[in-house]
Amino acid sequence: MARPGSVPLAWRNLVWNKARLLRSAGGIGFAVLLMLMQLGFEQAFFESAFAVIRGLDGDILLQSAHKYQFATRDPFPRADLDKARDVPGVASARALYADWFNFFWKNPIDGKVFLVRAFGFDPDAPVFSFADVNASRDKLKAPNTVLVDRGARRFLGMDSAATEAELNGTKVKIVAGFALGPDFQSDGTVIMSDRTFASLLRAPAGNPAAVDVGVVKVKSDDDPAAVQQSLRKALPDTIAVFTKPQLIEFERKFQADVSSAGPIFAMGTIVGFVVGMLISYQVTYTDLSDQLPQYATLKAMGYRTGYLLRVVFEQAGFNALAGWVPALLLSILLYYLIGRLALLPLHMTAQVILVSLGLTLGMCLISAAIAVRRVITADPAEVF
Amino acid sequence: MCAALVAERAEEAAVAWPAAPEPAVRVNGLNHYYGEGEARNQVLFGNSIEIPAGQLVVMTGPSGAGKTTLLTLIGALRSIQEGRIDVLGRDLSRLGGSDLVDVRRDMGFIFQMHNLFDALSAYENVKMAAQLGDASSSEMRQRCAGILERLGLGHRIDHKPRFLSGGERQRVAIGRALVNQPRLILADEPTAALDKDSTMNVIKLLKQTTIDYGAAVMMVTHDHRIIDSADRLVHMVDGRIMSDVVLHDALRICEFLRPIDLFKALTPQQLTDVAEHMKKRHFAAGDTIIREGEPGEDFFLISDGEVEVIRSDHEVARLGPGDFFGEVALISGEPRNATVVAEGGVDAYALGKTDFQTALATSQSFRDQLYRVYFMRH
Repeated sequence: MARPGSVPLAWRNLVWNKARLLRSAGGIGFAVLLMLMQLGFEQAFFESAFAVIRGLDGDILLQSAHKYQFATRDPFPRADLDKARDVPGVASARALYADWFNFFWKNPIDGKVFLVRAFGFDPDAPVFSFADVNASRDKLKAPNTVLVDRGARRFLGMDSAATEAELNGTKVKIVAGFALGPDFQSDGTVIMSDRTFASLLRAPAGNPAAVDVGVVKVKSDDDPAAVQQSLRKALPDTIAVFTKPQLIEFERKFQADVSSAGPIFAMGTIVGFVVGMLISYQVTYTDLSDQLPQYATLKAMGYRTGYLLRVVFEQAGFNALAGWVPALLLSILLYYLIGRLALLPLHMTAQVILVSLGLTLGMCLISAAIAVRRVITADPAEVF
Repeated sequence: MCAALVAERAEEAAVAWPAAPEPAVRVNGLNHYYGEGEARNQVLFGNSIEIPAGQLVVMTGPSGAGKTTLLTLIGALRSIQEGRIDVLGRDLSRLGGSDLVDVRRDMGFIFQMHNLFDALSAYENVKMAAQLGDASSSEMRQRCAGILERLGLGHRIDHKPRFLSGGERQRVAIGRALVNQPRLILADEPTAALDKDSTMNVIKLLKQTTIDYGAAVMMVTHDHRIIDSADRLVHMVDGRIMSDVVLHDALRICEFLRPIDLFKALTPQQLTDVAEHMKKRHFAAGDTIIREGEPGEDFFLISDGEVEVIRSDHEVARLGPGDFFGEVALISGEPRNATVVAEGGVDAYALGKTDFQTALATSQSFRDQLYRVYFMRH
């Protein structure tokens, strides 16, 4: 039916009444903004949760098979890590000691005590890819020295110029800082040597018997997947062997499916979607009602229902874009402001852009599909 | 009405319409109902009508007479329940939804409400119809601009409906209906919102379509300015076509009737009533039109040609255009007192016995005149 140079009816219908366009774009845009904020928070939540995993300098990561999420303490025997070193293709297998619930940090400025996340590693066997950490790792060889997260929440006082603080009641020397930032579970992070970690955790000093994460590097000529298989064969079933992306996916699944965070963010997005659908339905329904005689006239003239459907859906698509574009721009600004305030990695990503666009088009097209029945049933005989 | 027609039809009488093998519209035994069950209500009763190409037909009648229903059935906008409608050679009752849409593309619809898209300019509203046709882009542009020009809207072509007056909007809608040069135009009160000049302009354009490419125009209206321009007048009452008059014939009959002493005393309305009931009949050379001794059934008015009046095998008179015969037997109730034979080809208008007597009863002066003629001929 459409031919080159034909009248762009859907576009004309969209733009001819500027006030109405503003209202519909505002309404739909509001719902899109709700969805974008939810999607942004959800992504920030995941990104912050994955930040430590991403920062581990290894191809394969080992952890207890009983761990249901990364941020829980369930160490496995150091002997298993030693076993991993003997697997062909493994270049190195290093230990990371981690704890989320047993390190209490006293703010060096105001003396208030907060729970923080703590990591420990052998300064001669670095496990992080954070440049600041690696640059200062030699300083950690001295007992009771720590690196603090300068991106931690302000109330921890880690961004101050203080050189000493108290961790688990023990005075520690702040030898340098790094920038990791908080996540939804931890407000700040302290990194130290394995020895300091063990002493502060009140575990036997020196050579801790159990590790939380094994950070394995694969020799450059070997295939990580093949090495992973070999590790699985060599290690007991109590050890889970992940590539880094697999561990991130494992964590994502837990947050999305098991923890309450995933459903909360999903529900927020669904609410935005439903609100948007209602607004979009109202916009489309009103427009179709106003122009029902015109559509019936088109039918009388010889236009087929398919053409009318195309016009309605095109217009719904244009409405979606008219709401989505300003909402996207506004959300980029809000991401920046909220990210700065909440110290969260709130960034606009291609995934958020595509998902929000898909949801916006979906809500507008679904509502158009419901409203379009009015046009389908319009009786051209009634316009006489 | 007759007097007005005489003046305005003089030039148009010479117009030759294109010959059409099929009528544009043929309606046969059409019944239609609204509602179902006990609420079922018949709105059309056994209507039949044929509309040839090139004819401007005006439908009149009171509200609820079924005019619009008939129009929408002919326009393939409703399903036919009983009877048959052929439009542009296609039997609508046999067509499915998609084919009905195709039929509608060959028609132009003009509605009482203009139903223009507010978002589109006058040009684009017309183009919405034009792009249904198969014209090229440049031809489409030319047609759209041309029709708007002819409707006096050349300077308003880019204006949106809200910047046009009611009359201008309606003219855009008319342009939309005519831009594809449809072979059938259906219109419902198309000039209701127009002033006198615009109305005449529109009617002239519609009339021109019947001449230029033989479009049939079927229009519901109460606008007398249009009725005067119609080729044919169909009057509906209570779902039935009560009268169907080809105004060219009525006009010609009026022209003959007016100077005749017999009809001089009739008012224009009475004259029109008589004319509307007369049927045109053609007789070949040598045909016996009435035969002496037979009962009288019709009154005849000669339109073209000559007849010979024979009584007891002797020619007693010759009659030509404008002369009439056959009234004596109708007045007296006696058998024909003469035989009338066509000399060459003869066209005559016949008024049936019942209609003749109705006309007689209607006008005292007509009766007096007839009796005077009757006694003169005896």
